[in-house]
Amino acid sequence: MANRRSRRDFLQVGFAGGIGLSLADFFRIKEAQADLKDYKTVEGTAKSVIFIYLPGGMAHQETFDPKPYAPVEYRGPLNSIETSIPGVRFGELLKNTAKVADKIAICRSMTHGEAAHERGTHNMFTGYRPSPALLFPSMGSVITHEYEPRNNLPQYVCIPNQPNVFAGTGYLSSSFAPFSLGADPAQKGFKVRDLNLPNGVTNERSTRRRSILEAVNNHFVTKEKSDSLDAVDTFYKRAYSMISSQKAREAFDLEKEPAKLRDEYGRGTAGARMLLARRLCEAGARFVTLTYGGWDMHDNIAGSMKRQLPPFDQAFAALIRDLSQRGLLDSTLVCVASEFGRTAKINATAGRDHWPKVFSVILAGGGIKGGQVYGSSNSTASEPEEDALTVQDWASTIYHCIGINSDKELLAPGDRPIEIVKGGKVRKELLA
Amino acid sequence: MRLEKLMIKCIAIILLVHTVNVPAIAATQVLERIEVYPKAVQLKTKRDRQSFIVQATFKSGITQDITKDVKVSVVDSKLTRLDNFTLYPVADGKTEMHLEYQGKKLTVPITVAEAGAEKPISFKMDIMSVFMKKGCNMGSCHGASSGKDGFRLSIFGFDPDTDYQTITRQLSTRRVNLAIPEESLMVQKCDGSVAHTGGQQFKKGDEYYNIIVRWLQAGTPKDPGEVPTVTKVELSPPNGVMDGEKVQQKMNVLAYYSDGTTRDVTSLSYFSSNNDNSAIVSQEGVIESKNRGEAFIMARFDIHTVGSHFVILPKDLKYTEPKLPENNYIDTFIHAKLKKLRIIPSELCTDEEFLRRVYLDIAGLLPTVEEYHQFMNDPTPDKREKLVDDLLNRKEFVEIWVMKWAELLQIRTVANRVTYKSMTRYYNWLRTRVENNMPIDKMVQELISSQGGTFANAATNYYENGADTLKTAENVAQVFMGMRIQCAQCHNHPFDKWTMDDYYGFAAFFSQIGRKQGEDPREKIIYNKGSGEVRHIVGKHVMTPKFLGAEVPDLKGRDRRAVLAEWLASPKNPYFAQNLSNIVWAHFFGKGIINDVDDVRVSNPAVNPELLHELSKRLTEYNYDFKKLVRDICTSRTYQLSTKMNKTNESDTRNFSHATLRRVRSEVLLDGITAITQTRNKFQGLPLGSRAVQIANGNTSTYFLTTFGRAKRETVCACEVSIEPNLSQALHLMNGDIVNKKIKDGKLIATRLKEGVSPVEIFEELYILSLSRRPTAKELGTMIDILAAKEKQQEQLEDVFWALLNSREFLFNH
Repeated sequence: MANRRSRRDFLQVGFAGGIGLSLADFFRIKEAQADLKDYKTVEGTAKSVIFIYLPGGMAHQETFDPKPYAPVEYRGPLNSIETSIPGVRFGELLKNTAKVADKIAICRSMTHGEAAHERGTHNMFTGYRPSPALLFPSMGSVITHEYEPRNNLPQYVCIPNQPNVFAGTGYLSSSFAPFSLGADPAQKGFKVRDLNLPNGVTNERSTRRRSILEAVNNHFVTKEKSDSLDAVDTFYKRAYSMISSQKAREAFDLEKEPAKLRDEYGRGTAGARMLLARRLCEAGARFVTLTYGGWDMHDNIAGSMKRQLPPFDQAFAALIRDLSQRGLLDSTLVCVASEFGRTAKINATAGRDHWPKVFSVILAGGGIKGGQVYGSSNSTASEPEEDALTVQDWASTIYHCIGINSDKELLAPGDRPIEIVKGGKVRKELLA
Repeated sequence: MRLEKLMIKCIAIILLVHTVNVPAIAATQVLERIEVYPKAVQLKTKRDRQSFIVQATFKSGITQDITKDVKVSVVDSKLTRLDNFTLYPVADGKTEMHLEYQGKKLTVPITVAEAGAEKPISFKMDIMSVFMKKGCNMGSCHGASSGKDGFRLSIFGFDPDTDYQTITRQLSTRRVNLAIPEESLMVQKCDGSVAHTGGQQFKKGDEYYNIIVRWLQAGTPKDPGEVPTVTKVELSPPNGVMDGEKVQQKMNVLAYYSDGTTRDVTSLSYFSSNNDNSAIVSQEGVIESKNRGEAFIMARFDIHTVGSHFVILPKDLKYTEPKLPENNYIDTFIHAKLKKLRIIPSELCTDEEFLRRVYLDIAGLLPTVEEYHQFMNDPTPDKREKLVDDLLNRKEFVEIWVMKWAELLQIRTVANRVTYKSMTRYYNWLRTRVENNMPIDKMVQELISSQGGTFANAATNYYENGADTLKTAENVAQVFMGMRIQCAQCHNHPFDKWTMDDYYGFAAFFSQIGRKQGEDPREKIIYNKGSGEVRHIVGKHVMTPKFLGAEVPDLKGRDRRAVLAEWLASPKNPYFAQNLSNIVWAHFFGKGIINDVDDVRVSNPAVNPELLHELSKRLTEYNYDFKKLVRDICTSRTYQLSTKMNKTNESDTRNFSHATLRRVRSEVLLDGITAITQTRNKFQGLPLGSRAVQIANGNTSTYFLTTFGRAKRETVCACEVSIEPNLSQALHLMNGDIVNKKIKDGKLIATRLKEGVSPVEIFEELYILSLSRRPTAKELGTMIDILAAKEKQQEQLEDVFWALLNSREFLFNH
């Protein structure tokens, strides 16, 4: 009785009903619409997004923003190299990425104020500063909320698993949750969990199972009513359509890629995950999140970088080349992000500590102008110097490429309208 | 926020379009009593006034605002002037007002004092009230952390001193014009004479305009000396039952001040409804009924939020109260509420449904075939009660509650803080207490006041979840009082009574926790440092520890936490027993009487406060033995209702008039599948064949458990346990290695076939095992081919087993 109908439900009822609207109701609807900031979500330049997240806080000094002329305690133990953009240098371990620099936008002025892992991570997955009162939805879940599925594939996929709670649905309904592979594509004999019929179950047998299942469900479904029951129903239908679509299933099958290309990406976690992400986007997924490595390098940054960065470099460069050769780079947005950068000065244990004040992120393809460095940090890479890029503006620019105006409001519990990103501006200079 | 503003506009529109006619009460309604609010009138100083309302209650329970129909007379009209149901002071003295309606009479005493005196205008009492009323300091307007259009006010007015500075000193002379007060920007922005993003907020000459202008004319005084504070706010009438749509009821708000005066603050209160589908309320405080349902109407004034409960019924609804048996007090309170709503509860569920439900809820098990037959064949009329008693004595009942407590106490390993060994000790500490039926108050007191090594006194691990003082305080409030006080870290809670003073005062109990390394590198020691303070973020003053919503205790020479523990888990803290009862209730109904259970606040009222009060009272009387409370709940008729709804209760989701479907939680689901396939599981740290509910560590999980929403215990939020469905769950049950492999490994069907059991009997056994019922004739009919199959008999029966474990009926407790 006291079930409170949300304003959205109210609008749907009003419009679906069509009749019986009093003048007052009509005004009310007009008012409600005018009140909720709404923009039409369209197909943008980026048909899909590959979101590469490097957990732990990747040092910008050893990667995309080296300071070769800074004193050694700032410069760090690694050298820098030239890239395909004249005058722009990367860390020495990014030798493959240096060759595709002309296809990507290097943002060297990313900035926020959260130096704790979970708070910084929240920023980069949701576009919001953490709030004690509300959990915000991740970009992937917002996109699931805004678009229909394509080619029987889930809109939002996480490789191998949902990396943290902030990559989830936040205040949105659980039906917008990511589909997690549940297995790592780099593993031998990798298969996405539960996508194929179990051993010994033929198609014929599966059909029989399905008809028995319907017979059993029939008794219950005719007797009971509930939203949760309907949701289970929806997910079983989606599961059946995914299982029965060979194309959809094959999108998860890395074996279908030629061995040569797999070698180009590298057979480790970075290569396998990025290649699978490309496969999924090509097949119709809209937002694929993957993580690689652990970048919280408080000690011995040179050694850790030498271990972790080369596989990333190989895979990332291969991904950009591959997308470009397939003509997919213009419609696929590739983001590289981390929760923050690291301190300017090398610490006592030869590492660097947390530093959110300035760090680097990469955007490429999907409507982003490649071959540019956006913004800059100061001479010691400790403060933004030009065009400080805020989390809100960064997120709004990504949403813009996808086709979503991030000023649009979604309804949080208690009928609270919340902007997808609060006060974000699209950085036009980043766009192609 | 925005919605309420929208409501104001809507009401304005509705008033324009419709001529609102208050439907007359049917002649058949018999008057029972009339009531006036307020019951006594105090008028002090020249500008004071007091409006009143009169409410009639009819025998049917329906109420009506009869203020305009009452015969009113004031005994001594030289003392007070009556105009539009409002009394104004004229001369000092005492008199009475007489009210009469259909032969019922009431008398209201009136006191007038200082009738000629002018009360000075106050920034805190008057100007801040206008900001609140008009929403100027809300988060969407100037209360935003960065302000709005260059002007920032403290959100919900938590910092009046800074607001005063901002208005009078910032951008000097811009906002106030002392030479021509009416032309101050703060007036012109609001009266519509210059552009204002927030629109026109008041008109020239209205009450709000006059308050602001008077303050400007007086030279924007900052209140000298002590300003009386609001001690209590009363919203009247406290409840009502409205007959049909478009019935109106005027509300009245009365504030009580620390200097003993009262003030009619109806026009300065901010009104809202928690269910505008059933009733809306205007900013003048007039409720208008809409669709059938319940609405909680709230008024906010100063830092106080108060509410009144209204029921809206269809006009002239025919209703005959059903004669229903009541098993115990729970049914009495539930039926009373349902009667108010004119809802007839569902029928009792069948024995099969009850059996499955009570097994899952009390013991986290599915009944075995023998248990099924034993119960079904038991002819005694009190067999349900007997079953509840049997289940309460099983060890599985204890295990369910150890698991639930382990979630609330966040038992898990934490990197660099809680080692595996500490975690195990912590879990064992909890388990022995629940097993031995230790009263919950004693257990919580031990926990909160704990000191010593995380091995030696494992309860101390509670303080090793994190070292943040504020977070610890927030967690304690959320787990043991059901309250989320986080909002008050940065501003006074807008929908509750908690202020920043309450927040930091409560946090101060946890500011002296000391932590050091133990001898064993895996052990930490928690001790009382005896020093360390919490400072308020506005003004940075040191806070004295103060119980949430209660007194400042004497801490002399004592550990702050020990003092807190004695109050927290005791009848002196009214929220403790209430919160526990609500948690227990929610386990059995899927929803709390206050829902969510850890979101207790004024603006989220209990759907049945009388019942919740009684449950907490009983729990206290049972000496906090919650097993007794479980018995009351499970033997009540209310718990045993069917999910099948009737016309009167099909839209009820909150009042427990029927049972609701609840997806079985992850651990119980896995244990169920394991038991009926006759297989075993191995979890980290537990012997082969252990059940998932026995897992001690929040960080120990399996793909199945994680996918079906097992809590990681990273936060205290009740929301961590998820029973929401998702795509991976469907795929996992269909194709995954749990259902398929377990059917194969358990060899149940192969064994039965070998034993010569007939397919029909096996079929029936599978149904009883998975669904606790026999197959219907129709189901037997549709599967006749499978049962009569000459080939692949085993495979086909295994497919039936697969389908049963994938069925909706299996997934849900119903």
